[in-house]
Amino acid sequence: MIFSSPYFLFLYFPAVLLLYYITPLRGRNLVLLIVNLIFYGWGEPVYVLIMFLSIAIDYSHGRIVTRCKAKGNDRGARMAVASSVVFNLLLLGFFKYWNFIAGSLAAVGAGFLPVIERLPTPWGEPIPFTLPIGISFYTFQTMSYTIDVYRGDARCQKNIVTFGTFVTLFPQLIAGPIIKYKDLDDQLEHRDHSFEKFASGVQRFIIGACKKVLLANALGPLWDVYLATPGEQLTTLGAWLGIVAFSLQLYFDFSGYSDMAIGLGRMLGFEFLENFNYPYLSKSASEFWRRWHISLGSWFREYLYFPLGGSRVGKGRMVFNLLIVWAATGIWHGASWNFLLWGLYWFVWIGLEKLFLGRWLDKAPAWLGHVYGVVVAVVGWAIFAVEDFSAMGPYLAAMFGFGAGALDGMFLYCLRNYLSILIVAVVAATPLAAKVWRKLPERVRQVVFPVLMMAGLVLTTAYLVDGTYNPFLYFRF
Amino acid sequence: MNKKYSIFITVLFCMFIFGFGIAHFIVPDRESSEQENTNLSQFKAPTLETLRSGEFMEKFEKYYNDQFPLRDQWVHLKARSEWALGKQENNKVYFGTDGRTLFAHFTRISREDLERRVSFVNKLGENLDVPVYFSLVPDKSGALPYLLPDNAPNVDDNSTIQQAKELCGEKVSFIDMTDWLGNPSGDEELMGISSFYRTDHHWTSMGAYWGYVVLMEGMGRDIHVLAWDQKALVSDSFYGTTYSASGAGWVEPDSIYTIVPEGGTKGRVTVTRYPEGKPIEGGLYYPEKLEVKDKYAYFLGGNQPLCVIRNPDAAGGKLLVVRDSYSDSLAPFLAEEFQEVHLFDLRYNNMSLKKYVEENGIDQVLVLYSSNNFNTDQNLFKLGL
Repeated sequence: MIFSSPYFLFLYFPAVLLLYYITPLRGRNLVLLIVNLIFYGWGEPVYVLIMFLSIAIDYSHGRIVTRCKAKGNDRGARMAVASSVVFNLLLLGFFKYWNFIAGSLAAVGAGFLPVIERLPTPWGEPIPFTLPIGISFYTFQTMSYTIDVYRGDARCQKNIVTFGTFVTLFPQLIAGPIIKYKDLDDQLEHRDHSFEKFASGVQRFIIGACKKVLLANALGPLWDVYLATPGEQLTTLGAWLGIVAFSLQLYFDFSGYSDMAIGLGRMLGFEFLENFNYPYLSKSASEFWRRWHISLGSWFREYLYFPLGGSRVGKGRMVFNLLIVWAATGIWHGASWNFLLWGLYWFVWIGLEKLFLGRWLDKAPAWLGHVYGVVVAVVGWAIFAVEDFSAMGPYLAAMFGFGAGALDGMFLYCLRNYLSILIVAVVAATPLAAKVWRKLPERVRQVVFPVLMMAGLVLTTAYLVDGTYNPFLYFRF
Repeated sequence: MNKKYSIFITVLFCMFIFGFGIAHFIVPDRESSEQENTNLSQFKAPTLETLRSGEFMEKFEKYYNDQFPLRDQWVHLKARSEWALGKQENNKVYFGTDGRTLFAHFTRISREDLERRVSFVNKLGENLDVPVYFSLVPDKSGALPYLLPDNAPNVDDNSTIQQAKELCGEKVSFIDMTDWLGNPSGDEELMGISSFYRTDHHWTSMGAYWGYVVLMEGMGRDIHVLAWDQKALVSDSFYGTTYSASGAGWVEPDSIYTIVPEGGTKGRVTVTRYPEGKPIEGGLYYPEKLEVKDKYAYFLGGNQPLCVIRNPDAAGGKLLVVRDSYSDSLAPFLAEEFQEVHLFDLRYNNMSLKKYVEENGIDQVLVLYSSNNFNTDQNLFKLGL
C-alpha cells in the first residue's frame, strides 16, 4: 500500500485511526501490528511471511545477545550478532540481488546460478519472484537492533508484539526514514498522544502529500519525455531540463514520503527523526549527503564506515573505507550496475573533498560552492536515472554539449508547459517559504493555515482521484 | 499551536478524510461515467483466491478511484488546475489556442510500419479486378495546425498521408484530401474549424461533405448534393471522446448538423444493418443516440461489421467502402451517388473481402481510414487476404 492513494487516505487510514484510538493504551501496539501487516500484505500477501520471519529471527537474536552478555559470554553474543546480520543480508541479498548476480555472471559466460522467475509458496502455487516492497529499509532497521543491543545502545525488547510493531511500523515501512531501534525504543513502550502532536502531524502529512502529488507527480512526465528521447535527438538544454526535472521529482517524491511518514507517525504518537534538510542548498558533495536521505547516510556511517575505522586511519585506508561505503550505498539503491557506478561517482567527489577539494571549497565564495554542490548532484542523477548504459553515455554527452544542438521545438514546448511548476518546485526546494511563514504574525498564520491545508488536501485528492500519473519510485530500493 | 487550535485542525482533517471515506460507502456506485465516456469499475467481493493472489487488491484500487464521490468534479478540478499552471495539455489532449478546440495526441509510426500497412492496400488492388481507391482523412491536428500549441509534439503534420500516397502501387488510386480539409482558403466558418468537431476526433457533416466532394472528383464523378444551406441542427450538446479524456469541463459542447435528410434527398434510400450477421432494417440516422453520451453514433447507429445502403434513384454502381467510424457521417452523401454502398468493417468482419466483392457484384472499392486509425489498426492485413 502506498500513502498517495485514495484508498489509503480515505479508507485505510481513517480505519486505523478509529481502531487505534478506541483501543486502550496497552492494546495499541497490537492494533498497530495487525494494521501494519495488512498494510504490508496489501501489495503482495505472501510476503507477509517475510515479516513474520524477520520478526521471529531478530527478536530471538536480540534475546540471545542479551543472555550471552548477561553471562559474560562475549563470544556468544558476537556470534549471535553475526548470525543476525548474516540472516538479514541473506534475506536482502536473495530477494534483491540474486537475479542481478545470476544475470551478470551469465553475461560473462559463468552462468552457473539459475535466474529465478517464480517462487514456490506453502500452498504450492508459485508466485512471481519480485522484490518485496521496502525490504532494503526494514532489513537495515532490524539489523541495527541486534547490533545496538550488543553495543549496549539499545535495550532488549522482551515483548514480541512490541518488537513486531517496530519491525513493521507502517508509516516508514516501505520508503523510510530508516529508523534505528534505539531511537524508537522508549516510544514503543510509552508515547504521548495529544491534539498538538496530532495537528502537527496533520500539517506535516499534508505538506508531504502536496510535495509528492502536486510537485513530484507533476514533474515526472517531463523527465519521462527526455528519458524516452533517443540519444541522437537529445539537445543540450533539453537534456538539462530533463535531468533537472528528475532531480526535483525525486527530491519531492522521496522527501514527500518522509514528510508523510513523519506526519502519520505523529498522528499515532511517534516522533521520527528528520530525513531531508534542503539537500540542493549543499555547498559540497559531503554536505549533500548530510542533507539527503539522512537516515541512510547515518546508518552507513554508524554500522559500516565507523566499524571500518572511518577517517581516523591512514589516508590510504580512509580512501578504501570510503570506497566500500559508497559502493554499498550505490548498490543499495537498486540491483543494477548503474547504481554501483553512481555510488562510485559519489566516492570520487567525496574522496577528493576529503583529500583537498574540501579545503579549496571552504575558501571559495559561497555561490561557487552552491553551484558545485547542485551540479555534482544533478549530474549524478543522470547516472542514477538512466539505467541503460547505452543510453547513459549519449545522455551525459548531450548534457555536455555533444548532442543534437542546443535546443529544439520539443524543448520550447516543454519549457513553456512546465515553467510555472519548475519555478514553484525550485522555490519549494529552498527554505524561503518556511522563512516567510515563520515571519508572519501568529494570528495571520492561524487564519491562513486552515485555508492552505484544505486547498492542499482538495488539490491532492483531485490529482489522486484522476490518478493518471502516480508512480512509486522505490520499488527497486 | 495551542490546544484549542490543534483540536480545530484535527477535526478539520478528520472531517475531510472520514467524510469522504463514509460518503464512499453511502453514495451508490455508478455503472459508467457520462463525462469520461467509459464504464467504471465495480466492486467484487474478495475470495480466498483473489486475496492470496493480490488480484482483489489490484481491482479494489481501481474500483475505489472510479467510484470516488464527486469523481467528475475531481477530474475537472485537476484539468482546471493543469490549465491554470500554464499546461497546454491534460491526459494526452492538447488545449487548442482558441480555448475551444481539443486535440488528441496523434500516433506516429515508422516508415517501415507504414510501408507494411500500405502494402496490404496494394495487395487488395492486385487481388481485385475492380478499381480500388484509397484515401486517408487527415487528423484534426493536421487539418487545423494553426490551433495547436506552439511546438506541440505528437501531432500529425500530414506526412503519413504524403508517404502513403507515394507508396501506393499501380492498382490503387490515392485520393488526397489534405488540401481540402487542411488549408482554409476563404470562408473559415465553412472550411476550417467546422470540418471537425471541437471536442471529438471525428469530422463533422461539413468535413464529410468536403471529403465527399474530393472523393467524387478523385473517382471521376459529378457531385449531386449541395451543402450548407440544407443543413439541419440535430444536437447542440455533443461532448466527444477528446473532451472525455481531457477533463476540460470549461469547453462548450459541439453541435451536430446533418445535410442529407433521412432517406436521402429523394426519400428512397434504405439501410440494411448487419449488427450480428442477420439483416435488420435501419436508417441513416439514429435520434435515440442523441440521448446518450456518444452522440456521434447518431450516424448509422455506430460501429457494425457490415451495413448496406441502397438508393434506386442513384446513377452510380455498387461501391464497397472499407470503413472506420469516419465513414458513418460520409455515408449519407455516398448514398446519393451509388445504387449500393457496402460499408465493410475489417475490425468486426472476418469474411473474405475478395469473395464478398465478387459475390455482390461490387464494381468499385474505396479504402477509407482516418490517418490515426490507419496508423494503429491491427486488422489491415485482412485487406490482403
